[in-house]
Amino acid sequence: MNGLGKSWRRHRMAYLFLTPALVVLAILVFYPLVKGILLSMTDMNQYNMGTKFLKASYHFIGLGNYRTILTSPEFWQITKQTIIWTFVNVFFHFSIGLFLALLLNRQFRGRTVYRILLLVPWAVPSFVSAFAWKWMFNYDYGFINLALTKLGLQPIPWLSHPTWAMVAVILTNVWLGIPFMMVTMLGGLQSIPKDLYEAAVVDGANRWQQFWRITLPLLRSVALTATLLGVIWTFNMFNIIFLVTGGGPVHSTEILVTYSYLQAFGEWKFGMASAYGVIILSFLVVFSSVYYRALHQEEKVF
Amino acid sequence: MAGLTFKNVVKKYDQNVVVHDFNLEIKDKEFLVLVGPSGCGKTTTLRMIAGLEEITSGELYIGDRLVNDVAPKDRDIAMVFQSYALYPHMSVYENMAFGLKLRKIPKAEIERRVREAAHILDIEHLLERKPKALSGGQRQRVALGRAIVREPQVFLMDEPLSNLDAKLRVQMRAEISKLRHRLQTTVVYVTHDQTEAMTMGDRIVVMKDGYIHQVDTPMNLYNHPKNMFVAGFIGSPSMNFLKVKLVEEKGRLWLVNPAFHLPSIEERREALTPYVNKEIIFGIRPEAIYDDAAFLEANPDWVVDVHVDVLEPMGAEHYVYFSLNEENVIARLDATSQAKVLQRHKVAFDMNMARYFDMETQEVIHRPGYQTAY
Ligand SMILES: Nc1ncnc2c1ncn2[C@@H]1O[C@H](COP(=O)(O)OP(=O)(O)OP(=O)(O)O)[C@@H](O)[C@H]1O
Ligand SMILES: [Mg+2]
Repeated sequence: MNGLGKSWRRHRMAYLFLTPALVVLAILVFYPLVKGILLSMTDMNQYNMGTKFLKASYHFIGLGNYRTILTSPEFWQITKQTIIWTFVNVFFHFSIGLFLALLLNRQFRGRTVYRILLLVPWAVPSFVSAFAWKWMFNYDYGFINLALTKLGLQPIPWLSHPTWAMVAVILTNVWLGIPFMMVTMLGGLQSIPKDLYEAAVVDGANRWQQFWRITLPLLRSVALTATLLGVIWTFNMFNIIFLVTGGGPVHSTEILVTYSYLQAFGEWKFGMASAYGVIILSFLVVFSSVYYRALHQEEKVF
Repeated sequence: MAGLTFKNVVKKYDQNVVVHDFNLEIKDKEFLVLVGPSGCGKTTTLRMIAGLEEITSGELYIGDRLVNDVAPKDRDIAMVFQSYALYPHMSVYENMAFGLKLRKIPKAEIERRVREAAHILDIEHLLERKPKALSGGQRQRVALGRAIVREPQVFLMDEPLSNLDAKLRVQMRAEISKLRHRLQTTVVYVTHDQTEAMTMGDRIVVMKDGYIHQVDTPMNLYNHPKNMFVAGFIGSPSMNFLKVKLVEEKGRLWLVNPAFHLPSIEERREALTPYVNKEIIFGIRPEAIYDDAAFLEANPDWVVDVHVDVLEPMGAEHYVYFSLNEENVIARLDATSQAKVLQRHKVAFDMNMARYFDMETQEVIHRPGYQTAY
């Protein structure tokens, strides 16, 4: 208590300067967060939410929504899909992004042109890309199936078969997510001093050994941070799924965010949707903190 | 163990020639220093030996083996980089062991070599640390250790001391010299610091703009520079150069300019005769200028009356700056000197130590008593 008092007196000015930022944070972050958590413990829906004419009549039901969610088979199915979706995406983002970054990190003619071309998926608004891909996946007229039939293969029911639909949305999102990883990894690669490679060459390392013993270890912290961001973004990647498959067929490409959206604006169960939101948040908080602890341990290495 | 041979080695970057027709034989176990001003091609030359830079034309041999197309790892060389280039994610031990591990040397042998090198370099207590947790001098030792454990035929060092403070540099200079006697290996050492070159090298290659100006022992470079560039580059402070006219009067040769009238010694007459009535460059080292009474009395012909512009007390001696015929001259005078700033002072040039250079070619005119090193 005493300590706090002292600190308050000593840093009065500092607190004063911090106030505006804290107020803005409170309005933008804490209010919606707290409101969301509170709503998740109610049975609020479109009928009892209250309107201009009708008083709100929803009730506090404690952890009722959570009990319903955690005991429903759909929830576990969708969680499984979310995890698959997230990890398959991030895996390909990372490996393809790193591969391209390694290529682009070399000296060759027209390097700048390639760099710019590879950024295109990032530059195009994502809904445009999503619609383009959706059209390419079209069973009868889509580019992919036309190409397949030209090659004498069977057309694939991209958007109407559960597994293929998952493959389709993942393909789309992998395409979209590569530039971020590529640019981040390229930055990481370029921050590795050239003379380390020269020292390694003189020490007798071939290209492969240079990659495993120098490049990867020194890329580690950049890669871990980028991967964490990638996991969070992909876990919450709403628009691609919503636009390409709409979560279908029969929820087979639904992930937690899209399902939460469905609860809110399909079923109008706002309490339920909020509970989903809180669950998503807690998943990510747990994941990030475990991950960050591991990352921090890595960091100490340097 | 092996020597190195350069035969007409040329290095071009695009059309830009940075090393011209380099011919040099480096002997087995020799400590050879490449020295020269910034951008003269020292690093490029060293990197060609390491195989990090392609040789545009000519031949490079390590021992008897032509290595132009041999990969760096097969050249049996080790290199100490100016930046040290320690692997930041590896401990000191791992840094030193890395090259050996890649060469599939047995664990026990690696351990033995690393411990031994660490012992020699006095870094045994640092083996578990990461480079980040080391001081500049310690990093320098680790970089040396990483080269030592490889037991290569040739050590290449690119300005390994330039990142250290002055005091540590002097200390490490002595240690590298000691180490080199202990290891008995050929060393090619790059520096732009002439003191380092003089104190460490068996022979020194003085380079400028990609050309070799002189290859010689330190003492020969000092006493018998081949041209004005070498004369000016070796020695600190630099040799003074004064434009003079050579005239014959009263049976002697005289160096004449508006500020003085100095006789050349008899022994140089023959070499200088072709230059009578022509302008030449008179070179005199700061340490060949005296102001003590005994010297002045013994050589009254060599005395010049000067006006002292600046006086820098260095402790054991004074650096005294004055100008003669609008050319600046530095003298290294004994600390007992009575010279005072902005006052006139009598100094004598030791004409036995005078060097003369051709105005056109900048080459030295005659090198009395010169004997090649090898
Ligand atoms: N990769 C390169 N491409 C083009 N020119 C280069 C390259 N590397 C070096 N040079 C040029 O070659 C010349 C010699 O460079 P080098 O690095 O060998 O000089 P140095 O003698 O080591 O100088 P310093 O004392 O500054 O290290 C310089 O003029 C430099 O600009
Ligand atoms: Mg250099």
